[in-house]
Amino acid sequence: MYSDLLNALPEVLSLANFAAVIIGVIAGIVVGAMPGLSATMAISVLVPFTFGLEPLVALGLMAGIYNGAMYGGAIPAVLLRIPGTPAAVATTFDGYPMAQKGEGGFALQVAVVSSSIGGIASAFALMLLAPPLSQVTLLFGPSEVFWVAIFGLASIIFLLGGSPVKGLISACFGVFVSVIGADPIFGTDRYTFGQLEMLDGISIVILLVGLYALPPVIDLLETPLKTETDANKLGTEPIWRTLPRMGRFWKTWIRGSLIGIWIGILPGAGGSMAAFMSYNEARRASKTPETWGNGEPEGVAAAEVANNADTASALIPALTLGIPGTAVAAVMLGGLMIHGLQPGPMLFRENPDVVFGFMWQFLFGAILLVFLGGSLATNSFARLLNLPRPLLGSVIIVLMLIGVYSIHGRMFDVYLMLGFGAIGYVMDKLKFPLPPVVLGLILGAFAEENLRLALRIGRGDWTILFQNVTSLVIVALTIAVIVGPLIKRRYVNKRLKAELGSKTGMEE
Amino acid sequence: MSKPQNNRLLRPETLTAVGITAISAALLVPTFGMRAMSALLPAAMLIGLIGLSILLLLSDQRKAAANEEAKPMTQAPKRVAGAFLLVVAYALATDFVGFYASTVISIPLVAWVFGFRHPLGLAAATLVVVGSIWLIFDFGMSQEFPSGRLWEK
Repeated sequence: MYSDLLNALPEVLSLANFAAVIIGVIAGIVVGAMPGLSATMAISVLVPFTFGLEPLVALGLMAGIYNGAMYGGAIPAVLLRIPGTPAAVATTFDGYPMAQKGEGGFALQVAVVSSSIGGIASAFALMLLAPPLSQVTLLFGPSEVFWVAIFGLASIIFLLGGSPVKGLISACFGVFVSVIGADPIFGTDRYTFGQLEMLDGISIVILLVGLYALPPVIDLLETPLKTETDANKLGTEPIWRTLPRMGRFWKTWIRGSLIGIWIGILPGAGGSMAAFMSYNEARRASKTPETWGNGEPEGVAAAEVANNADTASALIPALTLGIPGTAVAAVMLGGLMIHGLQPGPMLFRENPDVVFGFMWQFLFGAILLVFLGGSLATNSFARLLNLPRPLLGSVIIVLMLIGVYSIHGRMFDVYLMLGFGAIGYVMDKLKFPLPPVVLGLILGAFAEENLRLALRIGRGDWTILFQNVTSLVIVALTIAVIVGPLIKRRYVNKRLKAELGSKTGMEE
Repeated sequence: MSKPQNNRLLRPETLTAVGITAISAALLVPTFGMRAMSALLPAAMLIGLIGLSILLLLSDQRKAAANEEAKPMTQAPKRVAGAFLLVVAYALATDFVGFYASTVISIPLVAWVFGFRHPLGLAAATLVVVGSIWLIFDFGMSQEFPSGRLWEK
């Protein structure tokens, strides 16, 4: 099982594949450092450009961007108190006070070392846990696969938080988009409206770019943010000199890594939740909790180690079951699919070199963070915040157009992408979650195909879906995922009401 | 939609719910002409969308009845509309006039309209971006971009 992991190593170390990781990490740090741009957006824009590349080069770029962006978000969080990515919110709590005290350089070094440690731990978790899980899922038949798809959709809707109704609407929309095109069995046209371009269905890349890249670009143009940073006042020392001062964070690093890995595996949860949980736990365990929030470096370490520890681990359910743990993992699934790699158990059997190579790339990406995001680079990256956002927006628009046009060489796809972009903008502003749309598109077709296959095997008997233990276990898990958060919400509301009642009683 | 809506029916969520219901109902019609198994998933999703949008509508109207203000979708509606218009105009220009001509105009125009008015910076950025695109995609990868429908014979 693990021999494939070692066999994949030489290929990853080839010049092109390794260079892809390096370029990805640098690009990720740049993107993450710019408030308003996220790893999800960067990978969405990148995916169409990877069509002509070897799968490992494309995946190396994605792994590098993901790792780099999670750290890059810390740069404006520390220097400006503006989190570059949602996962960097907790980094602002102590990072910004440190920068105000003239310790911004040290804060960024703590962030980069912690991010790297979190990323390394996460990559090891992916390497250790994904292969055995994939062996189990190899035993699944069509009805189990159908239920796994339903479980994936249910978990991302109900564990994501926010309004379940909006989550369900997003998922239904995604599944509906997945049925557009010719019916996979009968070949009947479904919602193509006579457009030949839609017969093959809607490419996930068009949807990804529209949903994830256009709304942030509109945001960039809507509120131009003026940032003034002076990288010379960061107080940066060489990173090797500051490392001994970080030794005392080892407990926080272990705790934060475990939290990040766990949150990453859970579908629907993400880096920001991991960072908050890790920060809170580290503060609770601290002997000096009163210093937290006033520039405590351990606070930066706690937040950054956890938000990077959820990167590779989010791919454990994504690669083995086809259920992404985070929005970025969902976009990465799209990236895998355009290279003809269907996430799921067969991926490990049919393309072990690619899937295990991808795991190594995550590990190398995390290690490279220290070197590329280290002291000298940190100063350079801090200057990026001064880039004019309208110019950045206009360049991204051009890249989006090129990327989408390049897929099939037709403008129809560009117009389709703009349509999805407009829908994505409205959804974003009205707080409809976007990951269920992507997951709906990925899993919708998958679920339909397996449902119909199961029904064919059962000669039209629907009870075939409930005839084995594995299916029943997945059904039970799906129900738990749906009912659990609803019960929890009711319990929390009841407790809040009771607390409010007792307070008003005391006041009277 | 820049200011909180006083009219209960013009709240963004209400309008969205009504829009989803209407579009889903219209898309449901073609399912009657499909085979049962082909229509199963799309019909289920569309019926689901209709039901869920009604729930969303009811929940938003309940909030309106409780005098809860609807949050505006954007702080700068003119800028948002302008940004969308420019993006669509760029796509149309690429389609009809051609990629390079549209891009050379679009990059500085969008940046200028939205506040970056440094002529040298604009010229340099346009040159670098368009030059890199030509070098990487056109020259390096032999990627063809739209030459413009207007110039097609």
